Amino acid sequence: MSEDVLREWIERFREAREIRKRFANWEFVKKQPPKIRIALEYYIETGDFRTSAKIVGMGVDEFVDMAKDLANIPTVD
Amino acid sequence: MSLELKRGFQALANAVADTSFLIDWIRYSKSKLIFKIFDVIYIPESVLAEIRSERSLLWIAEGLEKGGLAVFPELPDISREALNLVSKSRRLPVRPVDYPEAFCLVVGKSLDLVVLTENGGAIALKSYDPEYSSVIVWRGIDVLYALWRAGYVNSFKDELELYQQETKHIYSERDLAKYGDYLK
Repeated sequence: MSEDVLREWIERFREAREIRKRFANWEFVKKQPPKIRIALEYYIETGDFRTSAKIVGMGVDEFVDMAKDLANIPTVD
Repeated sequence: MSLELKRGFQALANAVADTSFLIDWIRYSKSKLIFKIFDVIYIPESVLAEIRSERSLLWIAEGLEKGGLAVFPELPDISREALNLVSKSRRLPVRPVDYPEAFCLVVGKSLDLVVLTENGGAIALKSYDPEYSSVIVWRGIDVLYALWRAGYVNSFKDELELYQQETKHIYSERDLAKYGDYLK
């Protein structure tokens, strides 16, 4: 992998994280029981919906729908 | 395989969809238009296994009934290569691919299918792994563009706005720049 391609993708993932952070309904996130809160915070940081869903024992689509509809976290990347 | 579409021209091809694509696309009110573009969209068993919501399952069940969707079985050769891809991607300092997305990429490469994904790891892999650079990877925005080119929606710009609003998927400036001339 060339350094330029690597740098571009690192930047793209950083931008995606910033968008998730900016849009997230933090009041909702912070009010959740620990498992859900940690899963949502992990999702905001990484965009990794699969691991986040596993943390709370939900289907991945159920988790992403919850993140979008209740925590206002968009999908970005 | 080329899916270059002229306005009003319809081209049918086959595709394979991963979870990230389905989750977003199913939320779009005109989601069934995708079957105008693709003859059959395959859903790997590993993707189907991780979908649980009623809305997603209903959409998939209806697609399977009507023949626009088909389940792609776990095949040992593809599975093995997908696992190698997962392992290879984890050695790099960018977001890796998980097994279901890797499986879709291998299927896309092996059977010349369009890979439908919104997964950053899978999209990144195509740009850094020469073995996968020829795989056609489409995101929702690319499907919307194809629908517009084929005349199924009136305005690419308006449709993209509707899609982003309904699916809560935000495309970055970089993503939008690819279609800059058509979004003015």
